Amino acid sequence: MNDVTMMERPVTEAAEMTKPPKISASDVQVYYGDNHAIKDVNVEIEDHTVTAFIGPSGCGKSTFLRCINRMNDTIDIARMEGTILIDGHDIYARDVDPVQLRARVGMVFQKPNPFPKSIYDNVAYGPRIHGLAKTKADLDVIVEKSLRRGAIWDEVKDRLHAPGTGLSGGQQQRLCIARAVATEPEVLLMDEPCSALDPIATEMIENLISELRANFAVIIVTHSMQQAARVSQKTAYFHLGNLVEYDDTDRIFTNPQDPRTENYITGRIG
Amino acid sequence: MTDAVASSGFAGSDPARLKRRHRAEVRLRAYGIAALVFAGLSLIALMGSVVLSASEALRETYVTLPVELSAEVIDPDGTGDPNIIRRADFNGLTRDALRTRFPNATGRTERRALNELLSVGASFELADQAAANPSMIGQTMPVRMLASDTLDLYLKGAFGGLDSRQVDGTLSVTVDDDTAVLTSDADDFASLLAQARSSLRAQSDELRHQASLQNNGVEEFARRAEAAENEGAKTRALKQVEARTAKRDGLLAEADALLARADSTEGFEPLGENNASALIRAGGGWFKLTEVARDRVSADILVAPTGAISDWSLLINETPEANRKLTDTQIVWAEDLRDAGELETVFNTRFFTASDSREPELAGIWGAAVGSFWTMLVTFALAFPIGVLSAIYLEEFAPKNRLTALIEVNINNLAAVPSIIFGLLGLAVIIGFFGVPRSAPLAGGIVLALMTLPTIIIASRVSIAAVPPSIREAALGVGASRLQVAFHHVLPLSMPGILTGAIIGMARALGETAPLIMIGMVAFIVDVPDGVTDNATVLPVQVFRWADFPERAFESRTALAICVLLVFLIVMNALAVFLRKRFERRW
Repeated sequence: MNDVTMMERPVTEAAEMTKPPKISASDVQVYYGDNHAIKDVNVEIEDHTVTAFIGPSGCGKSTFLRCINRMNDTIDIARMEGTILIDGHDIYARDVDPVQLRARVGMVFQKPNPFPKSIYDNVAYGPRIHGLAKTKADLDVIVEKSLRRGAIWDEVKDRLHAPGTGLSGGQQQRLCIARAVATEPEVLLMDEPCSALDPIATEMIENLISELRANFAVIIVTHSMQQAARVSQKTAYFHLGNLVEYDDTDRIFTNPQDPRTENYITGRIG
Repeated sequence: MTDAVASSGFAGSDPARLKRRHRAEVRLRAYGIAALVFAGLSLIALMGSVVLSASEALRETYVTLPVELSAEVIDPDGTGDPNIIRRADFNGLTRDALRTRFPNATGRTERRALNELLSVGASFELADQAAANPSMIGQTMPVRMLASDTLDLYLKGAFGGLDSRQVDGTLSVTVDDDTAVLTSDADDFASLLAQARSSLRAQSDELRHQASLQNNGVEEFARRAEAAENEGAKTRALKQVEARTAKRDGLLAEADALLARADSTEGFEPLGENNASALIRAGGGWFKLTEVARDRVSADILVAPTGAISDWSLLINETPEANRKLTDTQIVWAEDLRDAGELETVFNTRFFTASDSREPELAGIWGAAVGSFWTMLVTFALAFPIGVLSAIYLEEFAPKNRLTALIEVNINNLAAVPSIIFGLLGLAVIIGFFGVPRSAPLAGGIVLALMTLPTIIIASRVSIAAVPPSIREAALGVGASRLQVAFHHVLPLSMPGILTGAIIGMARALGETAPLIMIGMVAFIVDVPDGVTDNATVLPVQVFRWADFPERAFESRTALAICVLLVFLIVMNALAVFLRKRFERRW
């Protein structure tokens, strides 16, 4: 652990209030074939912040999330227009390799999906394919650090070579988070990470998300408004492909500007 | 349980309906069990008959006789050179040994019959032994020689055994040159006589039947003569009538004569070679009965008696001599050898170590098994990587458009193409155009690979498609490229299914005959192939060839070869099941 890697970003940056947005999306349109799934989304997402995307099913929040690490590229019929900048760089520029991008923008999925390999190999896979560790010792360090960040180290340190699929659902999801942070991403995308988990596991993940904020810009898609209220600082409300409202979480939940947001958070639609 | 529910009023308005439904379910289950039992019994019957037939080929017979390994014949100059020794006339030596053992086999035909007891391979094996161990030369020593297939079959009971009949009287023998008249003072030959007579009656009946056919002809031509319109036709018809009448009357007279003989009580009647053979063994000699009367028989002396005739036995072989390859004389020699302890039957290791031969007793499966191995090696080396990579490309990389849909349809169709078509393709393209050697495992392997490819591709695609998309997303999410996703995650996870499909495809290829016949792998090959370009044959083709051979001993060898092939297939399928169970994953 004495080998502090160069990817460790200074936390002081988080304190700066005048910092530029981490992610900046403008006029984003997404089409699935003829279906216009995302319409004119403009949003600026800050670093070291948890941003929650909420909205009814099919409103496009997951689709927009998947635009940020270009996962929609893998769907043949999906087509995207507009620009998304991360740290001022257009991630849809010609010279950007989506594979490299995904190493910098980690993702955690709805259903825990550990590889059917050992816990160690699950975490080590990303660093291995990106050549982040030169020696076995380096890799061990990265794995331990990632598992600690995933708040699962204490539970698995004695059985690193047991299969990852043998863990409980909540543990598997934390393992997936550890796997996502192992490549030292700057942004962590979470697509309904707790929807397949019980309340105890959900609480652990939520606590973890709050900790992860120190190192990453976290974007979380959730169906649970309570969860959005608990973990996020910023909330975006999507409705039928439009970004209806984007503001501080407190304000969204106490004083929404748009009637559609109000209807949704008060439970009249959704 | 259901009754309780029904009685509590949930049965609906029509309890009869419920009953009907239950009966239908019971009936369906009964049909299913009946079908399974039938299938199981059929399988047992099939396998049982093959295995039973094959078990005969598991044993082979050796004759041990003292052979004089005369130095003058083998190596007159005393060089000890194996090549010279091998060229010597060992055939003559083994024949001399047989002749010494049975000195009264004097005629040309008899000697040839005697030689037929030994396999032609016996002298070659003796030559090899002598070449390897020249100190044997000059000695007279017991040599273990392979028996011929007919002798082997006789000992296994293929040509009927000798059944002893009860005899009560005392035998007296009057020898006249090489025939003898044997008299018994009891009624010991009555059954034989009855047999001879009933055979006469049967012959008589047969003649009468022929006569009745002739009579039909007579009537037909008489009718034609009646109806004839001109003189010429009438004359021709009358001539036919005349000729046929004469023939009919001749046959009838013959039949009457036979019947008279059958009914008379005196005189000798011939046993004939279409009847069961009867032999008398007395005083160390053997007599073959030719004619029989009530209290005496005349017989050929097969082996002259050496001692006084005290007790004797009448032995019957129910299989007529004309219906078997081993003559009575040969049977007598075989029995003598057996009684002298000069025959031994041992496990047939030769079958599993030798290659093909025209002589059933020398033929083995090893050459074909090695040929199958080389062919399967080529098939696997080609079909597996090409099939798996095609499947990965089609499932993971190819765009879904009309072209890939067309390719998919064609792959599915190829799996249903009759295998002989692939043989034609192999003959025309692989041998004809690319000039791959005929009859070689390389050509066979390529053809079988083409045949196996669709199976492997389809199985692999199914297996790859069964890998859950969440694994692909997870890998993409940590920044794996599509290639890395395919080879690091999808392929290892689908490997058990791919291997299962590949092994089942290979098992089908292993049992394939038709395409290999087209490309000349049906040739008679005695050498074990050393590589993929040597001439070779494969197990199923070997089965096919042996099934075609007329020698009866090939029957059991064919069955044994089928068993060997079945064992290979069962092992391969078991491996497929094992792999599937071992690496099965639940998501």
